[in-house]
Amino acid sequence: MIFYILRRLLFLPLTLFGISLLLFLMIGLLGPYQRLATFINSPERLKGVDVDKLVELYGLNDPLIVQYGRWLKNLLRGNLGWSYVGKEPVLSAILKRFPYTLELTLFAAIPIIFLGTSLGVLAALHHNRPLDHGLRIFAVVGWSFPDFVFGLFVLMIFYGTLGWFPPGNLSIWAEEIVKSPYFRNFTGMLTFDSLLNGRFDVFLDALRHLAGPVLTLTYVEFAFLLRITRSSMLEVLRKEYVRTARAKGLDERVVINKHAKRNALIPVATVSGQTVIGLLAGTVIVETIFNRTGLGSFIALAAEQLDYASIMGGTLFFGLILIIGNLCVDLSYAFIDPRVRLE
Amino acid sequence: MKRFLIVLGLVACAFLSGSLVLAEVKNPDTYIFLSIGEPDTLDPHYAYDTASGEVIGFVYENLIAYKGESVTEFVPRLATEVPTLENGLIRDGGKTYVFPIRKGVQFHNGNDLTPEDVEYSFERGILFDPYGGPMWMLIEALFGYETLEDFVQDKVGIAWSDMVDEEGNLKSEEYRQKLIDFYTTYIDPAIEVEGDSVVFRLSRPFAPFLSILAQNASWSAILDRETCISLGLWDGQADGWWKYHNWKKEKSPLYDKAIGTGPFKLLEWDRAQQKVTLIRNDAYWGEKPKLAKVIIWGVDEWSTRRSMLEAGDADQIYTPLQYLDQVRELPGVVIKEGSRLTITALHFNWNVAKESKYLGSGKLDGEGIPPDFFSDVHVRKAFSYAFDYDTFIEQVLKGYGHRIPSVIPRGLLGFNENLPMYPFDLEKAKEEFQKAWNGEVWEKGFKLTLLYNTGNEARQTACEMLKENIESLNPKFKIEVQGVQWPTYLDAYRQGQLPAFIIGWLADYPDPHNFIFTYYHSNGVYGTTQGAAFRKFAEENLNALIEDAIEETDPVKRQAIYEEIQKIAYQNALGIPLYQPEEVYVMRSWVKGWMFNPMRPGEANYDGIWKEE
Repeated sequence: MIFYILRRLLFLPLTLFGISLLLFLMIGLLGPYQRLATFINSPERLKGVDVDKLVELYGLNDPLIVQYGRWLKNLLRGNLGWSYVGKEPVLSAILKRFPYTLELTLFAAIPIIFLGTSLGVLAALHHNRPLDHGLRIFAVVGWSFPDFVFGLFVLMIFYGTLGWFPPGNLSIWAEEIVKSPYFRNFTGMLTFDSLLNGRFDVFLDALRHLAGPVLTLTYVEFAFLLRITRSSMLEVLRKEYVRTARAKGLDERVVINKHAKRNALIPVATVSGQTVIGLLAGTVIVETIFNRTGLGSFIALAAEQLDYASIMGGTLFFGLILIIGNLCVDLSYAFIDPRVRLE
Repeated sequence: MKRFLIVLGLVACAFLSGSLVLAEVKNPDTYIFLSIGEPDTLDPHYAYDTASGEVIGFVYENLIAYKGESVTEFVPRLATEVPTLENGLIRDGGKTYVFPIRKGVQFHNGNDLTPEDVEYSFERGILFDPYGGPMWMLIEALFGYETLEDFVQDKVGIAWSDMVDEEGNLKSEEYRQKLIDFYTTYIDPAIEVEGDSVVFRLSRPFAPFLSILAQNASWSAILDRETCISLGLWDGQADGWWKYHNWKKEKSPLYDKAIGTGPFKLLEWDRAQQKVTLIRNDAYWGEKPKLAKVIIWGVDEWSTRRSMLEAGDADQIYTPLQYLDQVRELPGVVIKEGSRLTITALHFNWNVAKESKYLGSGKLDGEGIPPDFFSDVHVRKAFSYAFDYDTFIEQVLKGYGHRIPSVIPRGLLGFNENLPMYPFDLEKAKEEFQKAWNGEVWEKGFKLTLLYNTGNEARQTACEMLKENIESLNPKFKIEVQGVQWPTYLDAYRQGQLPAFIIGWLADYPDPHNFIFTYYHSNGVYGTTQGAAFRKFAEENLNALIEDAIEETDPVKRQAIYEEIQKIAYQNALGIPLYQPEEVYVMRSWVKGWMFNPMRPGEANYDGIWKEE
């Protein structure tokens, strides 16, 4: 087991190196003037610019291998470079934005997994009856909603009309508290930090600001889990051991909860893990609509402006999370399902 | 269970309260403006965009400022008098300017303002002169050069890159004395402290000099010498000044710090949230602002900005014209208008790079155009006749724009709406096409590609309208309109591959020179990208007039020279001046004291406004 983990971790730097090389080559295929778009990001910015001098200053005309070497050398010194879209060093840009994304993901994951699995089980138990159909339609509608459309609905209704869930991270008064010297930042995640500081009012405010995006993500994302749970549950319910359990006269609740559900949820665990990892990278649009700058929107902007230091740094960071996240999912699989052995 | 539900209900009430209060001024002491993007840098000598200028303009101050809404009248700011010929502070036929410096002014850190701070600020900026920065304006005004490196090369006789390496170190000790001498001979005497005043000595009269110094011109902001030196900026010494030249943006310690004398202090620039927070400077020497706090917040999504304005969580929002109808009927929201000194024009490339993908076959055979297609005046005139100016302004700009005879916007000297303009006239366009290239164009037809950068809807529509009209003249005329990402556009533009390009200019300072030089001079930013044949034309017909106009101090004579230049531009159809936009400013009706000045980079005068229903 430990050997398995070590082996997986050993591959990590190699994988990351491969990713970085591939990305660099792709960016390098673009001409130096195209890559200058990082520094001159709109036609108006051409004012007073000697473009060739800028190309020279930022070494965009150097051979690709020299540029990559420069980047790698800095990386080994722990310097990921300067982010022109984040307007600060890449590492600090990532570390400041990641907690926002992580917080949103954690809060969204709870209702997504809870609703997805419990409603999925419910649908399976009412197979082909009205409740099943109703749930499936409800889920498919959410699933087919583009998140920017549903997000805007949520914003208009719950903020525009009802005034409940404002965009942003915090209200002005709460932000003043968070930015004051008395408030200590432990995690960078506002809900946890406010609780640790004993500021329940700030915690409630942070929750209020999380509600809109969480609602959006939940409705758009839970359908997939529901469908997986439902089909897996249906399959398990047809299994012989379930029939045996029923045959030996067990209470139906025990049959469902102990014999069927436990087995049915094994594939669901994997999918849930993937969904959570996916959320970390895929909340760009929701972040934009609710004006919560997170890592996703940062990397999207970097890609648009060819800010290679940010793209490389961000991708490596995501790569790291993806690999570690997948490892955790695989490990959890082994714990849930004793039949799986990691060798 | 019941008790639990009651507690839950109470928590929910607490949770939702605060948002249900309506119809009263929210956050009465705080002004929240939602824009897009965020500042580029807060170093006043590097910043060259409106988002940066907006912050710098309230934290730092300049020697003089514009009076109210005017762009021609000044009031003193950190100087106690505005130099004029009458008060004797402009001397030597417009080559010497004297500014008596105000006493009793303190920087945000408590240091006193001295004339030495003023001298230091200008010299630091000029020596710093970063690539792509705004310092060329002062270098042109004071010395008649475009960059410090050009200036050095001309006086020392050796190229900058041969003397100083990328790290700012001398390549050989022999250059040390040469560069020290350069500073002591040219830079130092140009800006000198004399008693309580600072004196500027220009190499020639330069008509718009005062505009280049006025408030909101970040390049002329006054810095605290002591703070700057302690932060690691230029140490004020002649020996070694070259080490402080042209740093990368992020290397400047002033990148995210700002210590000025202005009415607001910089509290924080939160780059993760694209949010700048300013607080009132309670020790301000002048009239203190009524607002305690200003938040300038980049909210990129339009629907989010609109919702926040509607809820009163924002006081003013950036509103692109296409969304204006969505806020027109909102209760408690008002729309104000203003005309900035900015224009948008289409210009031609007289010698497109031969390898360009946008020329079709590269020959006049009906499947392409030759690289010098637009060097024929008839082609340019035909294009000028084929654009439906009024429909564009009515339909695309929704009426928020004006026609202009040339690249000089209304509101500036040199503008005259009675100057000739090309009407939209397809018959005339046809005639011109028949004359072009000795009739070959009409006979064989042509094919070319017009590019726009995606996301710019007005420019896209302008290209499509030209296409429609020109293709309707002759079935052999083919224009492709293609949208590309900005990096691709930039690349093609820079390599001279675009047959024509639509590009705008926003005034750096309110003087026609800033526009005329940019588009029509052979060394102008856009002049250099219109092909060798254009540059030759400009050298022969325009450059001398442009130089004359800038040295002329009599406004009547200057007007005449600028009209002459514009007539030449018209006769030769040098470009298609498309429009000068009218801008809209959308805010809550509780915003009081809001005032517009065309030269203010941001959208509000935070030092003058307050909130009251």
